[in-house]
Amino acid sequence: MKKTRFVLTCLLLAVSSVLFAQNIQVRGTVTDASTGEPVPFAAVQIQGTTTGTATDANGVYTITAPSKATLVFSSMGYQTQSVAIEGRAVVNCILAVDSEFLDDVIVVGYGTTRREAKTGAVATVSSEEIAQVPATSVDKMLAGKMAGVTISSEYGQPGSNSQIRIRGTSSINAGNEPLWVVDGIPVMSGDQGYFTNSTNAIGAINPNDIESLTVLKDAAAASIYGSRAANGVILVTTKSGKAGKASFSARAKYGVTTIANDNNFSVMNAQELYDFYSAAATNAGKTIGDYYSPSVLDGPMTDWFHDLFRVGKMQEYEINAQAGTDKSKFYSSLSYSDTEGVAYATHYKRLTGRINSDYKLTSNLEIGTRVNLAYTENRDTEMQSLYYSNPFFAGLSIRPWTPMKDENGEWNVNIPENSNTNPMFVALAHGEDQWEKQFRTQAAMFLQWEPVKNLVIKTNNMFETTFGQGVRYWGPDPGDTEGVLQGSRSQYLQLTTSNTVTYTMDFDDHNIRLLAGQEAMRRTYEGMYGYAPTVDAKIPYFSTSIASESQIEDWFNARTMLSFFGNVDYNYANKYFVSASIREDGSSLFGAKNKWGTFWSAAASWNISNEEFLSDSKWLSLLKLRASYGVNGNNNISAYQSYAVYSSAAYNGANGMMPTRPSNETLSWEKNKTWNIGLDFAFLNNRISGQVDVYDRLTTDMLLDKQVPATSGFTSNFMNIGSMRNRGVEFQLEGDVIRTRDFNWTLGFNMAINRSKVLDLGDDEWMASSYDSRLRHVVGREFYSFYLRDYYGVDPTNGEALWRATDPEHPDDDSYYLLTNDFSKSRYIYAGSPEAKLTGGFNTSISYKGLSLSAFFEFKTGNYVYVGEMRYLNADGNQMTMNQVSSAANYWKEPGDTGVNPKPIAGNATNSYNISSTRWMQKGDYLRIKDVTISYNLPEKLLKSINMKGIRLYVSALNPYTFHDVYWWDPERGEEGMGFGIYPQTKSYAGGIEISF
Amino acid sequence: MKKYFVIALLAVVALTTSCKGWLTEEPVMSQSTELTLSDYDGLNKAVGGAYTPLCDGTWYGAFYVLDAEMRAGNARIPANTEFTSGRMMVPYYMTYEPSATSGLWTYAYYLISCTNNVLDVIDNRINDLLTGSVTQQDIDNLKAEALALRALAHFDLLRLYGRTDGSNGEFGVCLITTPQLPTDMPARATVAQTFESIINDLTTAESLMAPGYVRGGVADTKATITPNVIKALLARVYLYNKNWQKAADYATAIINSNEYTLWTADEYTSVWGKEVAGKGGEVIFEVYGKQANAYDEYWEGPSHMTNPVGYADCAASSALTSLFDAGDVRGTTGVRGKDDGNVMFATDAAQASNTLWTMKYMGKGEGNATTTPDVNNVIVLRLSEMYLIRAEAILNGASVAGATALSDINAIRANRNAAALTSASKQDVAKERILELNFEGHLWFDLDRTGSTLSYADGTVTRELDANSKFWALPIPKSQIDLNENLKQNPGYGV
Repeated sequence: MKKTRFVLTCLLLAVSSVLFAQNIQVRGTVTDASTGEPVPFAAVQIQGTTTGTATDANGVYTITAPSKATLVFSSMGYQTQSVAIEGRAVVNCILAVDSEFLDDVIVVGYGTTRREAKTGAVATVSSEEIAQVPATSVDKMLAGKMAGVTISSEYGQPGSNSQIRIRGTSSINAGNEPLWVVDGIPVMSGDQGYFTNSTNAIGAINPNDIESLTVLKDAAAASIYGSRAANGVILVTTKSGKAGKASFSARAKYGVTTIANDNNFSVMNAQELYDFYSAAATNAGKTIGDYYSPSVLDGPMTDWFHDLFRVGKMQEYEINAQAGTDKSKFYSSLSYSDTEGVAYATHYKRLTGRINSDYKLTSNLEIGTRVNLAYTENRDTEMQSLYYSNPFFAGLSIRPWTPMKDENGEWNVNIPENSNTNPMFVALAHGEDQWEKQFRTQAAMFLQWEPVKNLVIKTNNMFETTFGQGVRYWGPDPGDTEGVLQGSRSQYLQLTTSNTVTYTMDFDDHNIRLLAGQEAMRRTYEGMYGYAPTVDAKIPYFSTSIASESQIEDWFNARTMLSFFGNVDYNYANKYFVSASIREDGSSLFGAKNKWGTFWSAAASWNISNEEFLSDSKWLSLLKLRASYGVNGNNNISAYQSYAVYSSAAYNGANGMMPTRPSNETLSWEKNKTWNIGLDFAFLNNRISGQVDVYDRLTTDMLLDKQVPATSGFTSNFMNIGSMRNRGVEFQLEGDVIRTRDFNWTLGFNMAINRSKVLDLGDDEWMASSYDSRLRHVVGREFYSFYLRDYYGVDPTNGEALWRATDPEHPDDDSYYLLTNDFSKSRYIYAGSPEAKLTGGFNTSISYKGLSLSAFFEFKTGNYVYVGEMRYLNADGNQMTMNQVSSAANYWKEPGDTGVNPKPIAGNATNSYNISSTRWMQKGDYLRIKDVTISYNLPEKLLKSINMKGIRLYVSALNPYTFHDVYWWDPERGEEGMGFGIYPQTKSYAGGIEISF
Repeated sequence: MKKYFVIALLAVVALTTSCKGWLTEEPVMSQSTELTLSDYDGLNKAVGGAYTPLCDGTWYGAFYVLDAEMRAGNARIPANTEFTSGRMMVPYYMTYEPSATSGLWTYAYYLISCTNNVLDVIDNRINDLLTGSVTQQDIDNLKAEALALRALAHFDLLRLYGRTDGSNGEFGVCLITTPQLPTDMPARATVAQTFESIINDLTTAESLMAPGYVRGGVADTKATITPNVIKALLARVYLYNKNWQKAADYATAIINSNEYTLWTADEYTSVWGKEVAGKGGEVIFEVYGKQANAYDEYWEGPSHMTNPVGYADCAASSALTSLFDAGDVRGTTGVRGKDDGNVMFATDAAQASNTLWTMKYMGKGEGNATTTPDVNNVIVLRLSEMYLIRAEAILNGASVAGATALSDINAIRANRNAAALTSASKQDVAKERILELNFEGHLWFDLDRTGSTLSYADGTVTRELDANSKFWALPIPKSQIDLNENLKQNPGYGV
């Protein structure tokens, strides 16, 4: 901080140089030690005076100075250097990069701080770490990069949303996603689509536009965001122009996406299936002839498992330019990306354009704009769950002897086992259409004024919109001429003003920073939905619909917030740091009596390595202890929950109204109380660095439906009653194994352990999850517990399924049980959780001159997934019309067989395949090679001769291989570990070129 | 420096004072309670919506009626049918306990809260409502409708969860006559207070409602509260309260209103399952069944429960079907599918069992047993009951010029192809009520209000209930006892 101010002072005083006796004119060039490039706007000061100047855009300066004086050269990010003039007229200076300084500043809530001064738990990712991965949105690139930040997704479909959990899941009815803050303003995130499986608002930001990303994990870091901070905060800072030479670069990337299958997942071929059905028929006392003729094996076979998927192409093009002087800077970019999914109907396109500009109006007044425009287009079909058009289920269940095309070469739609639905017909021929086109705008402008030294007043204002347009069209069935059209139009508008005053004060060894601020936000969501059951298939638009059959609906809701906040940071001699923050949030979402809430945090840290007794230590670079406690909130609920509402109630042929929700004037935030203790360390001149954090995150006042006396007219009321806890440890380690001029090797590792526990659910001991009733929230257990029938295995004596039943002598002890073949007697147990016990990642990067290789691994362990699709695909003969997975062929054949599937029985009604049994639970552990990139920067000498700044070539792979044991394409099934017919994660390979001038 | 802080402070003060409006966002698409109840049109719709809980399965949507028949022995779970859904085990085997009891409590109080919301506005903000062409009479009609519905809800709660024979007088029901907060913990009123409140609501309603008032826009005018419904309900309430003269007087008012006629023997078997009750006929008040209703029991409606190829849980007991004299149209038997509309009891179409099923809920023909269940109107009040009320009242000392108990019973019997009685005792009235009103939810409550015993055996269950059995008052749901510290459970069911 001192250094920065010093530079500023120099700049301010540069114009007022004072003449000395025996002065001479000195000029020279300041260059960067590592690149040889000129350093623009470096301060040049005559030692011991306040006289100075600055270099121009080409690093050249001129100064009049005493011939015996010494010049002090300094610039942000470089080590300060002194050079004696010794009577010379030309004094050049080479500035060495200040390696500590490079990553010294991190973005935190409403400002920046030096990494050294942070008191809370934060994690950062730089643009280099995210830019190369062949994923289309920044959230996808973060997986495994930071301890305690897990990214998962139920949909591997391009353009889909992610589930981001920072330090576990903390809420049942309010949201669990973090708050995204882009360039200082909280923005909208999540799925804003209407018909498509998933859309991702954050995907509208071009990842290459991101300069840095900070995740605020604990209350000390996040509480300044008050009622929206409970799930953590992700701060995104986009690129600004840099002072110095203008540059222009262009990137192109081309790649392919394929379905992943690293665990030999497969379905039966025709012969295997025929044999399986035969055995099933025999076991049912029938013969295969009762079901199939052997002639099914004669014809040509179709490999539905492969033929429903393709190699998707992806391409991405971008140009960007940036330039800057001491007064103005700009960065702008334009990008286009186009990604085909592995399923034929899936497609994602994105166009983005950004302009970031900064301008110094006067020496103490600065303005800046951040404008991002995006167009996104998501396409898919109805392929969630068990829709027959879902290739991820149809590809498994359609029998091999069912042809893809009929004798006329048309798509075959005579597929009784799949309700006569051919996913290829739906995707390519039926004219079915399902898409969401979104137009996104984020436009912000800030004004920053420093009326007196060290006092900065800033106002930052943004308007953000999403205009979405969606269509779902079902083409006519063969022979029919009319289709069904549904359409949507939706608009989000969010207005935010954020105003802060910051004052910094340094005297002796005391450093104080005071921040006070105010923020206001209003968000509206409105839209319209149209339905026309009969439109002309040749002109599938609403204009050909029959008015009397069509329907229209619309909606509107609004929410507002008003906030006041303040923050104090104090440190003494860079050894003792204290910070505290407080925020008052008022929200329209909550009851009249609880509109306002107070959120706060207090934190301290002690930089032990700066104590005198350690300052001489050669091996210790940093040792810092941090502790924090704070309270923040979760207001992520739908609007108007505090209002009593009537809804329409038809009776006796007339429309009446009846009350559907009581008013709740005390409805309030969920509160998150977090303490965090952390240790930052670095050894051997920062070559090894890392941090350890321990936290306890208590959610109280959870929003739950509380049972109330029915005499009130309602049986439950949405109230703040429950509580739960997340506890964990996070560990992050980075090391420069080899650090030389030409050869570098770095290693990084992070891991996190999180344990959730439900403490109180009001009157209830458990609640079924709103996601799926097979998942429960149970007091005393993890946030999610699978609640399932207790499957034991195959009965070696008769080949039937064996179930555990409650032992009446020990009804409360799960370790005692009776075995039964009777499904109806089987007991329910809490069978495990989809939450991972340990998550993390590690990375390594090796570079030699211009060539570099980096690899990134992600892992998760201790979680269970529920592969419920097996109820149909491994159905022990219950399904005699569907194809079965290959593993189903491993069934009981003779007494004594164990560890296999129960014997198949045609028309099986024993419930051995029941949809709610532990039989379909699998361990979800995996180790994923998340991304691998090899890149080559052409040598500068070569480039100089052709007048270019850089050419970079790279090839990169996303998810090239995953080690796992889940019998499915991919082990991931979202936070809930369930899903049904889910779009698995896919593999992508891309190559690209990046040229800059 | 100071002046900036002053400016900042002023700015903060200015923002804070203007923020009240900023932080208020009211729902504009769904209708806030405040808005709904702000004018006559909204109140009118709120009263229309207040009928919907009557269609719930715990009430006239099925089980308030069918469970009562099952408990009283008119109905049974068939023994020799392939399938029953198991939905009526509790009333059949009389295994009521606080965690397995009727859920009427919830829905009746929901209806009561619907009416109280309306009554609260009418009583306190009448001047806001009298705008435009809205008259005091319009408001009075709504108020009367709401009061009558509230009375019906309290009365049905009392019959189910309380005793009407005069015993256990302290265990009435919670009388809810004002809008409640979730934190309110009302205690039970006495039985006498409950009757007083019900009668008060009904007599007030009677005095307020304009003669000939019928709710506008409805499909079935017999499925709404009219002046005659109020009178007929008063007749029944006074009968239960043993105010014999008033019971007889109100029954007489209906009988003499000339708006209803007794179904003839020819009509009797074909009047059930009509989409709407037409003019004339016996129906005074019925609950309208339709899938488009906000509440519809679908598979669990009475049509499906009493259908041998439906859920098939609720058959007629032989104790009931053997009561009828030969020739009595009310006891005619046949085969389902073949004799529909001609008999009152039928076996299944395949005649696979000898079990007979009531045909009072054969449905409107808007569905079938396998794809879409049928719907039914459930009759609550009809003319025959008025004759029987008057007969019983007269036998207990009431006097009505020109009417005798015998003539009233015989008026019914004459229209049922049943031989006229020569004398009428209280037992004759009780038996005639079973013959006439079986499967309409009366017998169980009649036995209770008259302090009778129940002795019943059908081969599967044997039931002996003396007049003091705890089961005459069903347990209040345990969750409600747990949630309301002032709510006492009925005697005999534990705490």
